[in-house]
Amino acid sequence: MAHLLEGKNLYKTYREKAKVTQALSDVSFYLDRGEILGIVGESGSGKSTLLKAIAGMLKLDQGSVLYNGKDFTGMTPRQTGAFLQMIFQDANSSFDPRRVMKKSIMESGRGKKDEGRILELVSLVGLEEDLLSRKPSSLSGGQCQRMAIARAFYSDADILLCDEMTSALDVTTQAQVVELLQDLKKDGRLSAVFVSHDIALVSMLCDRIMVMKDGTCVEEGDTLTVIKHPCVDYTKELLESARRQSIQEISE
Amino acid sequence: MAERLLDIKDLWVAYEEIEAVKGACLYVEKGEVLCIVGESGSGKSTLIRAITGSSMITVKGSILLEGEDLVPMKKRERQKLLGTKIGLIQQNPAGAFNPIRTFDKQFRETLKSHDILFDNEKLDQLFVTLGLKDTQGILKSRPYEMSGGMNQRIAIAAAMLMDPELLLCDEITSALDVTTAIAVTDELLRLKNEKGTTIILVTHNLGIAANIADKIAIMSKGEVIEFGSADQVLYDPQREYTRNLLRDVPKLIEK
Amino acid sequence: MKKKKRAKIKIVIIAALVLLLLFCAVFAGVLAPHDPSTPNAAAIRMAPCAEYPLGTDNLGRCVLSRVLFGGRTTIAATFLLVLISFVVGTLIGIFSGYYGGLLDKFLMRLADVFLAFPQMVVAIAVAGILNGGLMGAMVALGITMWVSFARLARSHTASLKNEAYIQAAAFAGKSDLNILLVHIFPNLLTPVLTQALTQIGTTMIGLSGLSFLGLGVVPPTPEWGAMIAEARAYIQIAPWAIMGPAAAVIVTIVLFNYLGDAVMDYREV
Repeated sequence: MAHLLEGKNLYKTYREKAKVTQALSDVSFYLDRGEILGIVGESGSGKSTLLKAIAGMLKLDQGSVLYNGKDFTGMTPRQTGAFLQMIFQDANSSFDPRRVMKKSIMESGRGKKDEGRILELVSLVGLEEDLLSRKPSSLSGGQCQRMAIARAFYSDADILLCDEMTSALDVTTQAQVVELLQDLKKDGRLSAVFVSHDIALVSMLCDRIMVMKDGTCVEEGDTLTVIKHPCVDYTKELLESARRQSIQEISE
Repeated sequence: MAERLLDIKDLWVAYEEIEAVKGACLYVEKGEVLCIVGESGSGKSTLIRAITGSSMITVKGSILLEGEDLVPMKKRERQKLLGTKIGLIQQNPAGAFNPIRTFDKQFRETLKSHDILFDNEKLDQLFVTLGLKDTQGILKSRPYEMSGGMNQRIAIAAAMLMDPELLLCDEITSALDVTTAIAVTDELLRLKNEKGTTIILVTHNLGIAANIADKIAIMSKGEVIEFGSADQVLYDPQREYTRNLLRDVPKLIEK
Repeated sequence: MKKKKRAKIKIVIIAALVLLLLFCAVFAGVLAPHDPSTPNAAAIRMAPCAEYPLGTDNLGRCVLSRVLFGGRTTIAATFLLVLISFVVGTLIGIFSGYYGGLLDKFLMRLADVFLAFPQMVVAIAVAGILNGGLMGAMVALGITMWVSFARLARSHTASLKNEAYIQAAAFAGKSDLNILLVHIFPNLLTPVLTQALTQIGTTMIGLSGLSFLGLGVVPPTPEWGAMIAEARAYIQIAPWAIMGPAAAVIVTIVLFNYLGDAVMDYREV
């Protein structure tokens, strides 16, 4: 059976004056239904480029992306939005500052006007209904990010592409958003590509991990396998940093 | 008992009518690292602003730097202190540099104004530890050409070159990758160990604090709700809030 | 918060004065004590008195009435001109900024050409070619006025189009036109409208200036610039004939400039 989302041998170069950057070089991946794929790497590793290229926000130089086995290479966000939705790092600015949340969420439904569904989703992401009549500036980053998840679900897209979606949040808020994603995954409602620089975060959330460096995939596999038995030095380095930054034993 | 370099007593800070810090009491001894941890809006950055001095806030209470109170000090005296004794690295590095002048010129100028020799080798070494390759290339470029993360690291390098007694760091790691954040905290630790610099680091991530702090202060809604040695706060927290903060630090799942 | 409140009070006061001014202009027909264009041989160059509060001019016409009616001409023409420039300029700017590329390059170089000459010099030249008249003067000023709106709208559009919510709208399947009208236009309206407010004063000077040079409104239609030009000839005998329209020009321009500044301050606080 075909994968839900698949990328085959993706290439992308950026040219700025004389400077040529190989942002993606022969990257392949797949995502199955009900699964979260974590992509880890430092800034400049090409992980965000990969996400943008899948979504059609960038044009790929080479390679193809497939949804349920069907090639959708070259589609623009207008078309890809029917089956995938992007969750951005800056949650507040992903909503039109002049509109109330409800209107913004409604917009993603492509003509569908189902208020009941919106209320259902808002409570699913753990928010109060009355926030729907507010504008993004009066919501916190965490609340906006939850709204963004509700919006993505309202669009009936199959796949969520999350670009550093918690890195602008406080640790506390981040933990709450991660908890929400874990719950959604348990219910089998979530298939997502989760891009982050924090391998600890990815380990809490993802079934499989792909480690990226300088535009290539250096390691890929089952989350526990990669964390327990990393093959490349770079992954070991990432793990070492993550271990030092997390507090392992806490007296309860 | 070691000497207290900075001693904050019953500090109240307000923006116009909003109280942002309510009766904070904390201190840092010479050569120590104090981490102030709290969520956004907890007043932790305001506390830093009270130390550096800002016209936008009204401050009550006392901030003693080696026994001398900063609060009643005149603006000019305070600014003089800021260049020599107190160093500041901000979360947003954009304010620290003139965007259209080369780093080389700006580095030389600042160092000259504080009578420090420009040492290429030392700078090179510092850049490498901060993960900045190509020192000469960076020195020739201008702040606006750089990404935020790069500017941040260069700002840290600049502050370290200045070699202040007290280094204030406001959320400097939150925009960085985990690996770079660790490199930066390592560099701060090295500064502390080699030069005996006293450091106050403001962060929302207890994980960072666990890595570097001698003392930790937890702030919530303008109040310091817990203050003590790092071991005490991390392994024997007294408050529910602190326990929750500890729980929220992402943990590598290894089982 | 206090600063914001203060800025708001300032806007309200100035806006009230501006409204009073507009009211006078609109209801000139009711407020004016005399017909503005009927000469009165019995009351030539009369100093201000109870019947003629601002005196009369060379032909015995009531200066106050002429100032009121002149305001109508000047203000109506200015508003219309600013409105047209605003619409044309903003549209050009939005498309230029959103699509970028060749279209953007062409439109912006065109704008550069118009900006390369001093506005007033172009206006005088064009108005001269068009043989004056109110229409001619408006075309002459409008030919360079759209540029500032276009540039402002373009720069705002160019930065807005990279905002996440614009991308989100694309993922929601919205067309370019929809994104431009629903998400981009309303979000750049405030800065561009503020620009429009500050332009009103300058435009008024421009129109009155052209009329003063005889390239705008043709007598006997009352217009401030034209009135000043006429009364200049006998300024020593009847200074009041020039003082009325001059004061009107100054007050109006100062008020509109203040309003523009106040709104800008309010947005910055």
